[in-house]
Amino acid sequence: MKVVAFLLAVAFFVVAALYLAGLLQFGAATPGRHLKHAVLFGILGVLSLVWMRFGAGPERAR
Amino acid sequence: MTWFQAMLLAVLQGASELFPVSSLGHTVLVPALLRWRFDRTDPTFLAFVVALHLGTALALVAFYFRDWERIVRALVASVVRGKLSDDPCEKLGWLLVVGTIPVALLGVFLQEPVRRFFGSSAIVSCFLIVNAFVMFAGEALRRRAAGAQRDLERLTWGDAAKVGFAQSAALLPGISRSGASIVAGLLLGLRHDDAARYSFLLATPVILAASALEIPKLFEPAAHAVLAQSAVGCILAGLTAYASVAFLTRWFHSHDLRPFGWYCLLFGSLCLALTLAKVIT
Repeated sequence: MKVVAFLLAVAFFVVAALYLAGLLQFGAATPGRHLKHAVLFGILGVLSLVWMRFGAGPERAR
Repeated sequence: MTWFQAMLLAVLQGASELFPVSSLGHTVLVPALLRWRFDRTDPTFLAFVVALHLGTALALVAFYFRDWERIVRALVASVVRGKLSDDPCEKLGWLLVVGTIPVALLGVFLQEPVRRFFGSSAIVSCFLIVNAFVMFAGEALRRRAAGAQRDLERLTWGDAAKVGFAQSAALLPGISRSGASIVAGLLLGLRHDDAARYSFLLATPVILAASALEIPKLFEPAAHAVLAQSAVGCILAGLTAYASVAFLTRWFHSHDLRPFGWYCLLFGSLCLALTLAKVIT
């Protein structure tokens, strides 16, 4: 699952970069750069890394 | 926009954002009732609205500052540790993270088209009536399952996502963010006060992030015309929001959603009737 979390993080960061550069327009109301979309996917990327850090499962500290 | 209009909108936004009566619905219907004509796409008006949302978000952060301090510390500690613990603040923090994802995703992709399609007074009035029945139904179902109560920290990740999806219904103008998420919390077995606290905590990152991302609009040349109104509006919306959340957290210790349901039903019906009679457009 760690690999899945890592791949998800990479995918989210790539999508965030594409929105930020204005190369991806999916779901956007107007053409151009999309900061909101980029921030959203950037945060999802960070959360995927956190998921990877947790070992991709809700393991509890003893 | 006159000063009176600006201040009334600030109070309206600060109160209706947290009361389960739909702020978006009220900011469409009240100006329509008063025959105020605003161009909602005008950069000046957008800057003013950003200031009001910022004030509301800061009020929520201030009211729950101690909670957020503990939650953020617990979240950082769990990430550093790389494991979850039994700390209730940590559990609450991750529940809020999970609950925020659906509304963030749906909000970013659907907010514009939904508001374009459902922005008319008649549709907003109908959604306000729907909002009333959602609250009535939530209360009725909650009373039927009165024995199955549980604490906030007992929610599962799936439950958090469900409340998050429920909150997304507020993208429809007339459906209340807090109303939808409190009803979802009640249906998951939370007490009214816990459901309300979770709803307000869940709303904070969304409102704060949405307004923070729009802050550049406050510094655009067009916004200079309403800079003073925006600043005073931000403070007024913040004070009203703070008073509202203080009132509502007390209210939900011993009361339920039904009075707000009756209000939405009456106000929505009145606005619908006036719209159909072409008194408001």
